Amino acid sequence: MKRITAILLRVAVWMVLLGVLFPILWMVLTSIKPTDVSQALPPVWDFTPTLANYVNVLTGHTYTSQAFSILLLHSAVVTAACTLLALTVGVPAAYALARLRFRAKRATAMWILSTIMFPPAVSVIPVFIFAGRLHLMDTYPVLIIPYAAFALPMVIWMLRSYIKQIPIEIEEAAMVDGASRLALIRRVVVPLLMPGIVAAALLSAILSWNEFLFALALTRSNVETAPVGINEFTSMYGTQWGELTAAATVTVAPILAMTMILRRRLVAGLTFGAVK
Amino acid sequence: MAAIAARLVPTKFARRPRRPIGTGALAWGLLAPALVILLAMTIAPTMYLVGASFQHVNLLGTGSTFVGFRNYLEVLSDPSIGWSAAATLLFVALAVGIELLLGLALALLLSRKMREINLLTALFVVPLGVAPVVSALVFRVLLNPAYGWLDWYLQSWGLMGNPVDWLSQPVTAWIALIGLDVWQWTPFVALILLAGLQGIPSEPKEAAVVDGASPIALFWYVTLPLLRPFIAIALVLRAIEAFKTFGSVWILTAGGPGTSTELITLDLYRVALQDFNVGAAAALGICFLLCLSVVMTELLNVLGRNTDILED
Amino acid sequence: MTRKTTGRPQLTRRQALISAVGTAATATILPDGARAATSAIPAKPARLNMLYATVEADSDAIKLALPDFQREFGIALHLDTMPYDSLQQKAFAELASQSSYYDIILVDTPWMPALTRKIQPITDMLLDSSLTNATTLDIQDFIPKVFFDTCVYKTDASYLHWPGAETIDPRAIKQAGFEIYGLPIQANALTVAYRHDLFSQPAEQQAYKAKIGKPLSPPGTWDEFAVTASFFTRPSKRLWGTTLMAGAGDWATDDFKTLLACFGGDGHMVNDKFETVFNSPQGVSALSFYVELIRKLKVVPPGTTAASWDTAATEFGTGLTAMSMNYHTETLSGNVHGSIGYAMVPKKVQHGPHFGTWMLSVNSYSTNKQWAMQAVQWFTGKDAQAKMLTTQLHPTRRSAYAIATQDQTLAGKFGNFYDVLGKSLEVGVGRPRLTNYADVDRAIWVAVNDAARGAAEPAPALHRAAGEVARLLKQAGYTH
Repeated sequence: MKRITAILLRVAVWMVLLGVLFPILWMVLTSIKPTDVSQALPPVWDFTPTLANYVNVLTGHTYTSQAFSILLLHSAVVTAACTLLALTVGVPAAYALARLRFRAKRATAMWILSTIMFPPAVSVIPVFIFAGRLHLMDTYPVLIIPYAAFALPMVIWMLRSYIKQIPIEIEEAAMVDGASRLALIRRVVVPLLMPGIVAAALLSAILSWNEFLFALALTRSNVETAPVGINEFTSMYGTQWGELTAAATVTVAPILAMTMILRRRLVAGLTFGAVK
Repeated sequence: MAAIAARLVPTKFARRPRRPIGTGALAWGLLAPALVILLAMTIAPTMYLVGASFQHVNLLGTGSTFVGFRNYLEVLSDPSIGWSAAATLLFVALAVGIELLLGLALALLLSRKMREINLLTALFVVPLGVAPVVSALVFRVLLNPAYGWLDWYLQSWGLMGNPVDWLSQPVTAWIALIGLDVWQWTPFVALILLAGLQGIPSEPKEAAVVDGASPIALFWYVTLPLLRPFIAIALVLRAIEAFKTFGSVWILTAGGPGTSTELITLDLYRVALQDFNVGAAAALGICFLLCLSVVMTELLNVLGRNTDILED
Repeated sequence: MTRKTTGRPQLTRRQALISAVGTAATATILPDGARAATSAIPAKPARLNMLYATVEADSDAIKLALPDFQREFGIALHLDTMPYDSLQQKAFAELASQSSYYDIILVDTPWMPALTRKIQPITDMLLDSSLTNATTLDIQDFIPKVFFDTCVYKTDASYLHWPGAETIDPRAIKQAGFEIYGLPIQANALTVAYRHDLFSQPAEQQAYKAKIGKPLSPPGTWDEFAVTASFFTRPSKRLWGTTLMAGAGDWATDDFKTLLACFGGDGHMVNDKFETVFNSPQGVSALSFYVELIRKLKVVPPGTTAASWDTAATEFGTGLTAMSMNYHTETLSGNVHGSIGYAMVPKKVQHGPHFGTWMLSVNSYSTNKQWAMQAVQWFTGKDAQAKMLTTQLHPTRRSAYAIATQDQTLAGKFGNFYDVLGKSLEVGVGRPRLTNYADVDRAIWVAVNDAARGAAEPAPALHRAAGEVARLLKQAGYTH
């Protein structure tokens, strides 16, 4: 009896999984269908798979204002720069919160954590206005700095947890040997912090790559990112379904791969220190 | 000399590390860059918004005029804003609630010993890695009653009579919206709870089984309490993100049908960046921030009570 | 007219004489500043910058014409294209910051009321024959209704429409206190597309004749439209009569204002005296008819109350409907083996399809206004528009439509589309000229969408919208 329930459970699980994955499967399937049978119902299963949609998307033969490959490049630059910035300022900040004692420490920590609550929909308004006045609209910094700000609370939280996991004796030993704090951080803590840095970098990358509101409001053509570009496959003339799903697949693929592979690390940083 | 001495002393009696003088300055130095960025993106915008909320800001150049509390009155007396606020609360409550339940179920499932558990987990996590904009777009297409696959297959399998026009009626539009959020974020909750489940020591469970506890009692009295910190983390993180939701709603329903799925974040975008009524948007934004700070304080309390994360 | 390789147009003696007289004449009427602008053509810039849209305004047409432009004028034209929302924000931002970067800006009609002080009026330059080339410009060749709706505004009273729509006379325009703010380039109007193959099938024709008693043909009136749409509505075969764009968006307002005009109302919805004329017996009849098509006769596919332009295009393209109404040519999916014919939007008491046009304008902060104006003139010129037909431009000149209608390749690809579009533009109806049209638009589309979904009855919905619009007009300072 127990065996049958076990088997039934397994079958049920895989069926549920199929249902869950269905939208993604549809997306990838449609991207390799010739675009004029994409929306046919009953769904056309007998077709020759084609990479034409991907080619069109990457070379720009679509309704979009630029080749999607350029938008992917913009996304990559913004994501890489933001992640670098977040880590560069996040590691020292996390160290200070983890190791040092100073006045208003708890308040500072709580404040930093609470900034995660600040809705982008609110901060986009002043940023939009000032970017306009300072002629920074549609430039890289106007995305990179806000994205770093969005990622920082979580990055600092995760790194702080990871740093606390490092035995303090190692640092004490280094300090006794005469290392300054900064050198200590750079030469001792950071190498040991690598797993945490990877997790924080992944989190920051996911947030930046997928971000939509700020990119929608603050970019036009010079720095337009992939999520905003996905919308452009729909114009008053109709929607280019094959190309749209191809662009979507290409946008989703890198983050998806990273999430699947590094899923445990992603969560580990958020749950350290959870248990009382 | 001191180094050798330090190493000879057993760890148990090792001296506590002496804090060098000026730690405060060092700490602030290390924190400064991060604080500057965060201040620039939170306090500075808030100050601007407070100022702008008392003005009628004209973006096309003729300057701004002071209008006192008019923007606030306009915003607070607008019934559609009231509805958006209620909709936002409803959305967060429903989405997070369902995600916690389903996430727990999924985590329990994935903590079993199955041969292909690794593959299974990796696959279940897929929705988490898809950009919300993309998933909203895909859902919108699949839900189209004329050429979307969902209605087509449900009809073909006899589960549905006439095609359901999901996005045309408020109730079904809400179902679609919550469904999208649940689809996207349940894996996230599940991963956190799974980490919790995998960290539960086996002694309490074994002891309970020996004492004759049924699986349900085992779960309720042993597993669940031990999972509390993780549930707290999942709840707090998801609630925060849920309040900020914009992209998926914008793409899936754009606040429709009518204004039944209009969340506050959509109102903000519309008033500020489509109507260019910056004063009113600022007033709305300040009100939203005030409400959120109350929510955030509560959430931080939840975290503090249930976990060790905020401890020094 | 031959062109020398230096790029500057050559003047015949006659033209030089007219130019001299013209300059002297304008010099006596116009104030000093304008005189200075018209009497001397400054040095030619090496480059001009143009801000343009993407598919909506057929940017491919401009891109195609760039080499010819370079050849003729010796000026490099730098083109920036972006999608609608970005374009609007960018255009407004540039103009608000008084940037001189873009010399030529593409402007959509609803944006103009707010921009009459930021866009350069070109009436004087058009009257200056040293700057204009009569053959290229041939201002009478533009479709009058399109020209007046798109380009002619009163600077200090931007809500006024030019009364009448006969001949285009810049002098008369100037004397009446109006100005010309650009030249129209891409004109979109609502047209009907229908499945020519279905309408030509003998079986269908016989069935129609038997049932209705009249021959099957594209409907000429709205009553016929309802009948024909019902005839083709066969849900079990996944075929419906027509698409409608009843989703919550600008497209719903456009559907409604078209019907409003056809039913005898004022398709502008709000008139120049700021009266909410859409809330009238004709408005209620129009909206009731629309709702009847959707809810009672059910001639539209499911999902219509969330449909927009692209939904309608997809539905028709995948063969779900026998007719469709949209603003461009349609294409059928590979698995739908059919052909497309076009017809004017039916009338009730009159024709009144919605139309909206893009215009090329000169930035008033540009430092190359005269050359920008000449570029604008060239891109909207007779030859240019004729050539742009190959990228499916929707031209704004009668001569272009004459060419398009007779061109065999175009007919082969798009059937009688251009013929129908040209005729539709002659009778089209534009929008009210309000700086907060976006808000007014929204109030109306909410009413249309609510009625279409059955969340409200047409009359109360329109009444509520009228109240909201009245409030908006007051807020914008048009009424007190």
